[in-house]
This record gives sequence, C-alpha cells and structure tokens, in this order.
Amino acid sequence: MATATDNESESRGPLARWTQSAIQNPERVYRALFYVAMAFFLVTTLFPFYWLLVLAVTPSGRLLAGSFLPSINLFGVSTTFPLPVPKGFNPQAFITVFEQVPFHLYMLNSFALAVTTTVIVIVVASLAGYVFGRLRFPGRVFLMLGILAISYFPPAAFVIPLFQAFAGNAPITLPFTDVPLFTPPRLLNTPGSMVLPFSALFMPLSIFILTTFYGQIPDGLEDAARVEGTTRLGALFRVIMPLSAPGVATAAVLTFISVYNEYFFSSIMATSPEAARWSPIVGGILSYQTQYTTQYNLMAAASIVGVLPVVILVIVAQERIVSGLTSGALKE
Amino acid sequence: MSTETGRESRRSGVLVDAMRWMENLSDTQYAYLLLGPVFVLLGVVALYPLLRTFELSLYATSLDLTSRSFVGIDNYVQLFTGGKNRFLPGGTTFLPQNVSTSALLNSALVVTIIFAVVSVAFETILGLGQALILDQDFYGRRWVRAAIIIPWAVPIVIQGMMFFLMFNSNVGFATPPLADLGLLAPTNTLNDTASATFIIIVADIWKTSAFMALLILAGLQSIDRGLYDVAKVAGASKWQQFKLITFPLILPTIGVAVLFRSVQAMRVYGIIDTVSSCAVVPSLSCMVVSTFNTREGTAAAIAFVTAAIIGVAVMGLIAWQGEDAI
Repeated sequence: MATATDNESESRGPLARWTQSAIQNPERVYRALFYVAMAFFLVTTLFPFYWLLVLAVTPSGRLLAGSFLPSINLFGVSTTFPLPVPKGFNPQAFITVFEQVPFHLYMLNSFALAVTTTVIVIVVASLAGYVFGRLRFPGRVFLMLGILAISYFPPAAFVIPLFQAFAGNAPITLPFTDVPLFTPPRLLNTPGSMVLPFSALFMPLSIFILTTFYGQIPDGLEDAARVEGTTRLGALFRVIMPLSAPGVATAAVLTFISVYNEYFFSSIMATSPEAARWSPIVGGILSYQTQYTTQYNLMAAASIVGVLPVVILVIVAQERIVSGLTSGALKE
Repeated sequence: MSTETGRESRRSGVLVDAMRWMENLSDTQYAYLLLGPVFVLLGVVALYPLLRTFELSLYATSLDLTSRSFVGIDNYVQLFTGGKNRFLPGGTTFLPQNVSTSALLNSALVVTIIFAVVSVAFETILGLGQALILDQDFYGRRWVRAAIIIPWAVPIVIQGMMFFLMFNSNVGFATPPLADLGLLAPTNTLNDTASATFIIIVADIWKTSAFMALLILAGLQSIDRGLYDVAKVAGASKWQQFKLITFPLILPTIGVAVLFRSVQAMRVYGIIDTVSSCAVVPSLSCMVVSTFNTREGTAAAIAFVTAAIIGVAVMGLIAWQGEDAI
C-alpha cells in the first residue's frame, strides 16, 4: 500500500491526499488492505465458475474461432481485455447436456451412493461415537489411535485387493496363506463396490465428530431415560442422538459432500462410464470427452449442473461444515 | 439392571433375550460389542487389503494372473534400482534417474513430494490470509465465507474440468498470457510435464486453501481477545499484534494442519487424471492405478511404499500430538 512519506503530497492529487490521511490514520491502510485482500480471494475463488459459464453459453460452432479474450479499443490504444467473455449466447447447452448423455442419471447414481454411504456411516459411527464419547474401558485410546492411523492411509494402499475381491473371480484367501475363505460375489459396477470403500474411508471423520458431540451430553439425561425403562441402545438412538442433532447433521453433510466429490474409487470401481452400471458423475462428465468430438461447451455446462447440489449445500449448511471441519478434521 | 417393561415383553422371545443379554454386559463388553461394526468394516475394507497388498508385493505374478511365485523383497529392490521403470506409464520412473530437472519431474516419488510440499506451502499462506479475513466482523461475512468454502466442496472431476478447459489447447484462454511470462510451455501445455505439474498444483491450491483457512480460523477464534486489549493499551500496532500475539498462538494449529494436509496431498490422483494424465505427471497413486491390472507385484510394492511413507509421517504426527490428537 502507498504509505511512503514522499514529498509529492504537496501536489494534492487524490492518491497523495489519501496517502497523507493514511499516514495520520493507519487504520485506513489496514481497512484498505483488508478489502483488497478480500476482493482478491473472492475473484480467484469464483473465477473458475465464471469461466465454466462463459464456455457453457458459447455456441459450439464458435468455440474454436478466435480468442475468449477480446481486443478492445481503450482511448485509441488497442489492448486485450483481461477477462474472458462468451462468444455469443446459447443457453441451449444446459438442455443438450441431458440429451447427449443421460447426465441426470449419473447425478442420481452419485446421490444414491452418497445417501447410502451417509446412512451407513451415521449408524456405525454413532455406535462408535457413543462408545468413545461416553464409556471408559481398557484399550480406548489405543483403538482411537488405530482408527486415526487407518484413516490416513492412501486409497491406493487398499485398492488392489479390493478390486480383486470385488471382481469375484477367485476366493478370498487368508493373508500370507493359500487357505481359501470364501468367494465374494462380483461387486464391480454395483453400488456395493463403491459404498464399502467410501464408508470405511469417511467413517473416521464422523466417528471423531460424533465422539465430541455425544461426549457432551450430560450423564443425567441418559440415566433418566434408562430409569424410564429405555434399553441401552434405545438411550443412544432416542435420547443421545436427537440431543446431538447438530453433530449428526455435521457428520452427515460432510460425508455426503465427501462421497459426492470422491474420484479414486468412483473411477476405478465403475469400470465402464455407463449410467446403467452405476457410474457416478465422474463417469458422466468424462464421457463428453470420449465422444467423437470433444464438446467443450457441454463439459462446462455439465460441470455447472454437477456442482450446483454441493454449492447449495455449502450455502445452506455452512455453519455445520465449518464446525465439523474445525472440530473433527484436526483430530482425524 | 432390568428394563423389562410391558412394551418390551410383547416382542418376540429372541429379541427380549438379546436385549436382556445386552443390558447385563459390563461397560467394556458393551463397548467392544458396539464397536463390532466398525471393526468389521475397517477390517474388511482397510486392514485386510493393507495386509494383502504387502503379501502381493512379495510375489511375482504371471501376466495372466494365474500363477505366482514368491520373490521376497525383489519387487522392492527392483523398484528402487530402476528395474521396474519399464512397467510404468510413459517415460516415468519411480526414483529419478539423475538430478536433471526433467529426470526429477519424471520420478513419481519426487513429483509426489514436490506436489505435496509446494501446494501445502501455498495453501498455508493463502489459508492464513483467508482466515485472517474471516476472523474480522464485517457486513456480508456469511456470504464471503460461503464463497471461500465452495471450492473445497467442488467434486474433483469438476475441479479438473475447470483447469483442463482453462489450459486446453483448443479453447483454453489462459495458456498464452502465462506462456508469455515463461511459466508454461506455449504449445501442448497439458502434455508438458513441468507445465502440467504447475497447473495441477495451482488447481489443488485453489481447492484446498479454504480447508486450511477453516482449520486456522478455529485456532484464531480460540485466542483470548483480552490479549489484544492489553496490546492496544500498550500501544502495539496491528502488525505487532499479529507478530507477537496472533502468530505465536496459532503456530501449533498451523503445524498440525500442515502435516495433516501433507499426508492428504500425497494421495493426489484424480486431478492428475482429469487435467493431464498419469504418463505426464506421475504420482505414487497414479503409478499404482496404471500398473495394478497388469503388474500386480509392482503395483503392490508401490502401494505399500506409499503407505509406509505416509505411515511414518502419521506416526510422527501422533507422537508429536500424543493423546491431544484425540
């Protein structure tokens, strides 16, 4: 920022005047810096979405003709406009997206996978969160560290045996022996081959979030429910879980978004990018690329359609996301 | 403790017996019973595959996957001496062949580490900036926060599309200006290893800075505001307040966040697959995915080395944090 004390402040230009007052009042400099930084972050964050929109509404015939950065005449000097602008306006692309590829079906697959995983994760992580948050027993710290450690391992470390098992060609053997245990059903291209790894992958974060929330419910409330005749499990699902609704919502939102965003297992376990074979949006968006011609405007339009659910979710549930990431993620 | 109420006893006998049995368990027994589903899930989908991966890495498998022979640590030896490089996609290698820039950028191990270090470094700086902004009170803070979080929630395939379309040689507009600055190769940008690595790092920074920002913001908001009042009375400037109060107090948070993110960054795969290809930008996960269908032993060895590197980092993190980690 221009805070240098130079002698040119005599010239009384607007910048000089601002500089003069800034020296007398440094608060103004911080305020200006703050707005500059905020504008910078907003522009860099939102720009890629703007670019998708520019590309999506450009008619396909004009995609390759000329630059997206138009030349403009600024006070007689020809210069390049620094922001891409659409070459024409064709909102039709947002309809063609669904005609060319059944993109809605891919999104439906993603939704189904995300919802199923979220339900499994919430139920199983609730049991674990209850145990870690409310019970004292030998091995508690060791088990939590174990779950923590497993959650750090990369999906690549799990994928080879899982892919083989889900292919269902050979029986599972006891590791380090040839003793066959059982032959698994073929799960590739079915929800099972994705929901299982997703659940394991995203479960630890939910366990840690729910442990925190369940641990905060006063013992008296649980005891009261038990005196009323509720079973141990009933107390968890009828008293503790409803009282920790914000925590459950946090874990659910984070799990849903994580599954919707997942790439690794989504691209490997759905071996062909067909909606009928449970390929999620990963397969949907990439299938505009493997057509005879690469349809850039449709790829952009599909990306916008595909991102809308999570954008809405972030706007609606941002409090939950912030609290979940800050309370759970550091521990995970 | 008996909880046999009238409602309970009308149910079938087995269920009542199960309930009664559960009520009579000790805390420890009950804890392990409830943890059963977690053990089963993590055992089947994480622990078993991890052990099995290690087992596979000790065998050489015939190309049709029908027969295998025990080779001990030979897969690892060959991986580190370059004998396995011919199975990797494109001209990529596991370890760099020499110390020239192109050899380093063709090495999966080096690229993965460069990616993790550079992107996490920039994410930390930008995340700190974003966190300092979100820590202020201003009109419309809620919307600014939503805007800053959104990239974190964007699916990886869509994040990849954004940057693919920005730098693609047919429709991309961003290559010429950056090529003029000497940052990117002017033609065939996404198939140029250095350029594609640069773009992928930028894409990751764009997506993940917000995550860093939220972690750091949590640290900022736990600082006792009274400290700033004391500093103001003592006449400290805003910069001095940051240097002497804010920064030292959030340093531990930043440390944990950096380690946590580095471990995550070393998994990089999806963004490479969408923006460029594994043959151009090799990462460890990339190498596993592109070899596991044909060279099982090699893929398993790479996967286990990746897991081991991350495992060591995690041990460090847990040892450093101790029980605070929980």
